[in-house]
Amino acid sequence: MEEKKPRALATQSAAKIPKFVRSNLSATLKAREEGKKVAYAFIMDGHDEIMRAMDIVPAWGESFSGLCAAKRDAEQYLQKAESENFSRSLCTYATCNLGFDILREEMGGETPPGAPWGGMGRPDMIIGSAQQLCDPRFKWPQATRHYLPDVPVFVGGMYYPPWDPQTDRREVEKFYVKYITEELRECVRFCEKVTGKKMDWDRLEAAVDLADRTWDLFDETYALRKARPTPMDTGDAMNTMVPITFNLGTQEAYDFYKELNAELREKVEKKEGVAEEEKYRLVWGAGLPSWFALGDFQYFNGKGAVFPAETTYHVAQPIDRLDLPNTSDPLEHIAWRLIRYYTHWYDKARQKPGSAPLVERIMEYVDDYKCDGVVFHSAFSCRSWHAGIILQAEVLRKVYGHIPILIMEGDIVDISSYNEADTHNRIDAFIETLEAYKNSRN
Amino acid sequence: MTQLNGNGLALADAYYSAYGSRARELKAEGRKVIGYLSALAPVEIMTAAGLVPLRLKGYPEEPITRADVHMETIVCPFVRNVFDAVLKGKYDFLDGMVLPHQCDSMDRTNDVWSYTLKLPYWHFLNVPHLSDGPSVEFMLSILRLFVGSLEKLTGNRVGNELIALAVKAHNENRRLMRRLYDLRKTNPPLISGEEMTKVQVGAMSLPVLESSSLIEAVIHEVVQRKPPHGNGGKRIMIVGDQVDTAAIAHTIEGAGAWLVMDDISIGAKLCRSEIDTTPDPLQGLAEHYLRHVNLPTTYVAAGKTYGENTDARFGHLKQDIHDFKVDGVVLLINKYCDPYGFEVPAIKAYIESAGASVLYLEYEYANSTLPRLETRIGAFLEMIS
Repeated sequence: MEEKKPRALATQSAAKIPKFVRSNLSATLKAREEGKKVAYAFIMDGHDEIMRAMDIVPAWGESFSGLCAAKRDAEQYLQKAESENFSRSLCTYATCNLGFDILREEMGGETPPGAPWGGMGRPDMIIGSAQQLCDPRFKWPQATRHYLPDVPVFVGGMYYPPWDPQTDRREVEKFYVKYITEELRECVRFCEKVTGKKMDWDRLEAAVDLADRTWDLFDETYALRKARPTPMDTGDAMNTMVPITFNLGTQEAYDFYKELNAELREKVEKKEGVAEEEKYRLVWGAGLPSWFALGDFQYFNGKGAVFPAETTYHVAQPIDRLDLPNTSDPLEHIAWRLIRYYTHWYDKARQKPGSAPLVERIMEYVDDYKCDGVVFHSAFSCRSWHAGIILQAEVLRKVYGHIPILIMEGDIVDISSYNEADTHNRIDAFIETLEAYKNSRN
Repeated sequence: MTQLNGNGLALADAYYSAYGSRARELKAEGRKVIGYLSALAPVEIMTAAGLVPLRLKGYPEEPITRADVHMETIVCPFVRNVFDAVLKGKYDFLDGMVLPHQCDSMDRTNDVWSYTLKLPYWHFLNVPHLSDGPSVEFMLSILRLFVGSLEKLTGNRVGNELIALAVKAHNENRRLMRRLYDLRKTNPPLISGEEMTKVQVGAMSLPVLESSSLIEAVIHEVVQRKPPHGNGGKRIMIVGDQVDTAAIAHTIEGAGAWLVMDDISIGAKLCRSEIDTTPDPLQGLAEHYLRHVNLPTTYVAAGKTYGENTDARFGHLKQDIHDFKVDGVVLLINKYCDPYGFEVPAIKAYIESAGASVLYLEYEYANSTLPRLETRIGAFLEMIS
């Protein structure tokens, strides 16, 4: 296995993230001796506060696979899954995890030797979600159970109204919220059954409130990146997303963004930027990064290109902006928050024929963060984030004319799809396009 | 209307070869034609609205040449192929399309289809992946939205009576198809797999009453065949999603086996069960599409143990293996398909426990890959002989 030199970080706060990841992983390993239950869990599926309020320790498969990829140690798990007939074209977050699980079962429950940071604990339950975010969220749990048949699985339904320029989202949002709320209630019942404990509804309410405040603080903090030079770019954001994505509803997550906020303010004041000389500002338009090649962000930085904004893992919006209806039911509040996170872009998109919410979001970043171009990443094993990118690029070109757009190709976990020299060549060519574009505008 | 002349198989072949020709005729007569993807589209509602529903198929015999400009190659090859066919003008008579939420490949390309094709009518049907009580309620709301959108399109009310009548007609269609399936139980079967694929494809291109007439004509013709003599060929079942080319059956049967049964989404998955008659016919439809169309995109939570759970998911396969005396199963799974792909180890183990051998093939929905599959199928048949 090749050890990759860690990527240089722009912020001190991002340097603290490995501690978060280690702590999340070790919590899954220590849970049993602490009398807690471990749940395999999936990001952005609305179950965070329920798990936190019930002292369930989430084991985040996507995080672990990302870690294996970053350590360039995913191949053995991918191969193990492949040997079981999981195609190499399936979600590699899932197949990496499945390979790890299969190996661990074969070893009688012992963590496979050399697993990054001690590996992940065996779950007492799996909490998946059948939702629009991606198919693996409900098929991965089912596939895991083939190897861990004793582990109970819950899968909840989690949908948001599809984008339809002919329809006012308000006409349909209510029945979506009703559905999600009922499914979240089912999730609570499932957790109560497995843990043998009743939900503490006051505690849940407090966790939901803390999550709301974290959303606000996260958004306010990330908006500091509008400054020129930007004090933090997407390279760091792929780390600083950990607390809001994997620790939502905890005080640690909130405190992390307090610190990041203070650090970015200081950097803005001192005009400390990510690149030595900030020449080009870019939006990371979509796509999960290649976790084994985060150094590519530094390659961009070395060319004077920075990413003050990204759609990926920008998983929170200011609560006020979402205009959430009042409710005394914390589960209904989670449902509204989840739905409006997606639908609040629809009104803007409807005002411009030919636009779409995802593109509206990118355009908002291009305009507000004064960016010169957009970079996408197309990961071959993931349709969820990576289908539709060509269309987004097409719409952006219609709106902005010849805005430079780069679509990088690779994967999230499977390094066999990646060619560093080729990627850097494409970045070089893109930088030249950026330069020409900037000159043409001046 | 094209007249049935008693030669059902020849007509099925004609509809298969000139796919959508009948819908094109009806369009010329002033009817509205709505294309749809997937076994999850409630075709009964389109029938009730007086529309001509046309399930879209791809053209695996042709390379994809137009779709790649708009749609990523990581999308399901079937979805890309159909999109390519639409771009090439093969469905240039459509008034609109319905895209059900079957999987990421459909959900995440909804914008790409609607934005690029700009058809007068477009509807994304947000079918949930669960089949519990709240999901059935949710599906009812989704179906009501669909009914409303079709009423806007046609300018006519689509009342319960019309939907109930359409359900009855489609149930009859399912019954007839099951009768035809029964004729595959003999050894060798009375109808070959290649012929059967053409009937399945031809039937799905027609309005329901014409489709039923076609199937009836085929049954009438096939039962008059002399009982065949067994030739020792292995009896194969195919499991997958939209296998809509007879080239697959031709490959299997060309290697000396008989394709006697399927669990595919243009075949047995569609006709295993009928829609219950309920006071609100949409209730029966919601329950049917979530609970009785057995696709891996519907998460099944039944059973207290994992064994009971797999029985609920795959038990019908065990029954088919027994009833149709299946020796081997070809699992034909589209590349880039997470819902089917994540089931491979479980379904493979289950089928093997039922006494049949399994060949898992990753399929790119392209006939250019058939020689490779032919080699694998040949080796598989040799192995189970």
